[in-house]
Amino acid sequence: MSAWWFVFRKELRETLRDRRTLLVMLAVPVLLYPVLMVASEQLLLFGMRQLDEEAAPVAVLGDAPSDLLWILDSIPTLRVVPPPAVGGSAPRSTMEESIREALTEGSVAAVVVLEGPTDGFGSREVRVYYSDASDRSRRGRSELMGAVDLWGGRLLEERLRVQGLPRSFVVPVAVADTSLALPEEVGGYALGRMLPMLLIVITLLGTFYPAIDLAAGEKERGTLEALLTTPVPPGAVVTGKFVTVALVGVVAAALNLLSMLLTFRTGLFRLAAEAGMVAAIAPATVALIFLTLIPLAVLFGALFLGISVRTASFKEAQNSLTPVYMLVMIPALLPVFPGIDLTPLLAVTPVAGVALFFRDLMSGVADPLMGAVVLVSSGVYAVLALRFAARNFGREDVLFPASRAPRSRRRPRGLGPVAALVNASGSGIPGERAAAGFIAVVAVLFFYGGRPLQIGFGETGILLSEWLLLALPALLFVRVGRFDAYSTLRLGRPSPRALAGALALVLGCMPIAWGIAWLQSFLFPVPWELLEGLEELVTADSATRLAWLLALLALTPAVCEELVFRGVLLGGTTSLSPRRAILLNGLVFGAFHLSFETAIRFLPTAWLGVVIAYAVWRSGSLWAGVLIHFVNNGTVVILASTPALRDLFADPQAPPPWWTMPAAVAFLLVGYRILEDLPAPVDIRTAFDGGAEAPPPLDP
Amino acid sequence: MIHVSGLTKQFGDLAAVRDLSFQVDRGEVYALLGANGAGKTTALRCIATLLRPTGGRVEVEGWSTSSTPIEVRRRIAFLATSTGLYERLTPRELVTYFGRLQGMDDASLEARVDAVVDLFALGEFQHRLCGQLSHGQRQRVSLARVLVHDPPVLILDEPTLGLDLVSGGAIHRFIQRERDRGKAVLFSSHRMEAVELLADRVGVMDEGRLVAEGTVADLVSGVGASSLAQAFLRLVGAEEGVAP
Repeated sequence: MSAWWFVFRKELRETLRDRRTLLVMLAVPVLLYPVLMVASEQLLLFGMRQLDEEAAPVAVLGDAPSDLLWILDSIPTLRVVPPPAVGGSAPRSTMEESIREALTEGSVAAVVVLEGPTDGFGSREVRVYYSDASDRSRRGRSELMGAVDLWGGRLLEERLRVQGLPRSFVVPVAVADTSLALPEEVGGYALGRMLPMLLIVITLLGTFYPAIDLAAGEKERGTLEALLTTPVPPGAVVTGKFVTVALVGVVAAALNLLSMLLTFRTGLFRLAAEAGMVAAIAPATVALIFLTLIPLAVLFGALFLGISVRTASFKEAQNSLTPVYMLVMIPALLPVFPGIDLTPLLAVTPVAGVALFFRDLMSGVADPLMGAVVLVSSGVYAVLALRFAARNFGREDVLFPASRAPRSRRRPRGLGPVAALVNASGSGIPGERAAAGFIAVVAVLFFYGGRPLQIGFGETGILLSEWLLLALPALLFVRVGRFDAYSTLRLGRPSPRALAGALALVLGCMPIAWGIAWLQSFLFPVPWELLEGLEELVTADSATRLAWLLALLALTPAVCEELVFRGVLLGGTTSLSPRRAILLNGLVFGAFHLSFETAIRFLPTAWLGVVIAYAVWRSGSLWAGVLIHFVNNGTVVILASTPALRDLFADPQAPPPWWTMPAAVAFLLVGYRILEDLPAPVDIRTAFDGGAEAPPPLDP
Repeated sequence: MIHVSGLTKQFGDLAAVRDLSFQVDRGEVYALLGANGAGKTTALRCIATLLRPTGGRVEVEGWSTSSTPIEVRRRIAFLATSTGLYERLTPRELVTYFGRLQGMDDASLEARVDAVVDLFALGEFQHRLCGQLSHGQRQRVSLARVLVHDPPVLILDEPTLGLDLVSGGAIHRFIQRERDRGKAVLFSSHRMEAVELLADRVGVMDEGRLVAEGTVADLVSGVGASSLAQAFLRLVGAEEGVAP
């Protein structure tokens, strides 16, 4: 028998003896979950009954006709009470304030105010006041509106009788709508909005604790060394552990699914039955859902194992996995929102494709082709995650964190508590964690502060947000953490050749970015309103305006954003290989330019970020990045402000002119060649710590 | 049995082990002495195939730890400083599990598990979960775990760490017994009386290097000391002062 099988059997045995796992896997879906559902329904019904039992106190203000009062008296769920004292000729605002006070103190649930003529053929103005913040008041309003409608109907009948007209005279078109959906389809539709997220979360939770226990827990308990000195390859160890984790995840999700369906089927969930829903899913659909859960559980299991083995303790693993958990929640929530179809792009998006496919399956509208895409892509992600886990298990620096190369702590001065918070390693160059923390803080600052500034103060707001929320935090970070500013931010002067290379790169980079934008317009809708707004912003109609826009939109971002991304972020990721650091830099830069309105800026901006990061790394100077950024943004301003060129480049859905592509490639090659011919860049971390050592080349 | 030649292990700029060479023969007990951070555990981990040497060569029964680590693992019992056990397995289940990972068949495994349960007196608590055991009991289970496949080479990192005299004495008797059975035993320890009692030869490590090697008597007389402890302190240059 294979070694992985022994590992799997042992891990399963231990897992089944773990109360925490059993709680998540068995107790939650089988017991707690239906109990919670039924209990919440009972509480809801109880609350509704409580509201129904009490007659809603309503008041009438104004000259109330007797037939309206009679109708109000005859409705048992209403109780007419004296109106709030408002004074005969009080202005409307005073009257509304008095009614508001009465609503707040609860003496009335709703008040009807009658104005205008009391006879003839005019329309009588009737206003119903209530509070939308109170269940009791909303119910009073509903009952009162019913009574007023009834009264209005009677008045209409009387008018038609006097005029000798039939009722159809006021109803020229009689509309009736009928839903032809079967109760099962209505049930499937409702389940499809609720269940996918629950299934995904339960699968995730099912793998969460076992993965931590089997990886970080094993390291923390000191059993990993014993395991790895047996003649079992690391791959077999990972496989045995991973199969256990994935199995627990699948079983937890399957039990949850069955438990939920059975809860519905037993009729315990009365609200669903009253709404004409039958929450039944065909066995074939259940089987398909189960099949799709397998790659999902594999993905979570492998990913969590791979991450938690990199941590030293259970607690550290929990901290590392929680952000992943949060990230998964976003795509898992997609089925809840209306109007999101399972497109090819979403089908290959991790978790999102599975969630939407579950919804379509339950609603009975699943596309088999899309299902196949979801299954295959989920399988591919699962395999990648498994490789990630296996690779981490085989690395000695991961298995024995104490064996990681110690960082230089050679600093000429001691760090205070605030500095130590920012600069935990005490190094002159920020580490990955410090840089990631800084980017997270800047992102939050920009999210909450940047947008209000830009909306509130327009162009001045743009200027303020760039300098106050990007440049200033970058400089403060370096200052507070007592990092070496010159090395971290690469403030050295670039050589003329480096600037020439950077210039050639940006000339090649821009048409390619345009090409990327054009290609992705086939996948993402182009937000015309946003583009028109942007075009208006970047277009100058005078030389003074052009100079201001170049300062605002080209020079300012070129300095402020470069300090953040190619300064702190690139400086903080020098422990990664240059290729990874540059790619990561581009992705973070692209993500920073995402907005609620559109995702179309991501890829072109990420591409620009990669090019700038390469130029800064290779030249060893932030100023090369500032130049590229300035030329890129400035070109957009100049193009938009030059009437002869504007039409040529204005349409974002038009492909770039064909001749720009060979020219772009030529410029990129020239820029690359010039930069590659520069002396090898100095590793800023090594240089700061005392020994100049060239990093590995970017391309073999 | 164990042949270490020019072993070097580098962690970034830090050389934990430098050009270490020694040999442990069949039926011999070899003790590695060194202050904390001298490189003993790193050296033992390299020999046990947990770490890849940066330089040099390590062979166990003729098998290279770099090119044939699986073969080496079949022939060694490695006891790390930590006595970590699977808390939700019983000692018997744990020992059986490691026997299976060593590729033992059911019939021989059952007999061998019975033998190590008897050898380390685990019978009384063999069906209790490991999470409920005392430190001494855990150490005995750890030894049973690494010896279930009866390998010819034993590598023990501080095997008596944290044990009382009774439990420590049992481990000493076990080491002597294994030597008498012809096994090669390599162990590290801070307890000089244990080294004097057990070791046929001693290697003293300081800052990753082997600074002295020989029998206890050789080491003591070589530096003109009156005891192994004094000889050790002289060899690592820590005889005077209060700093470690």
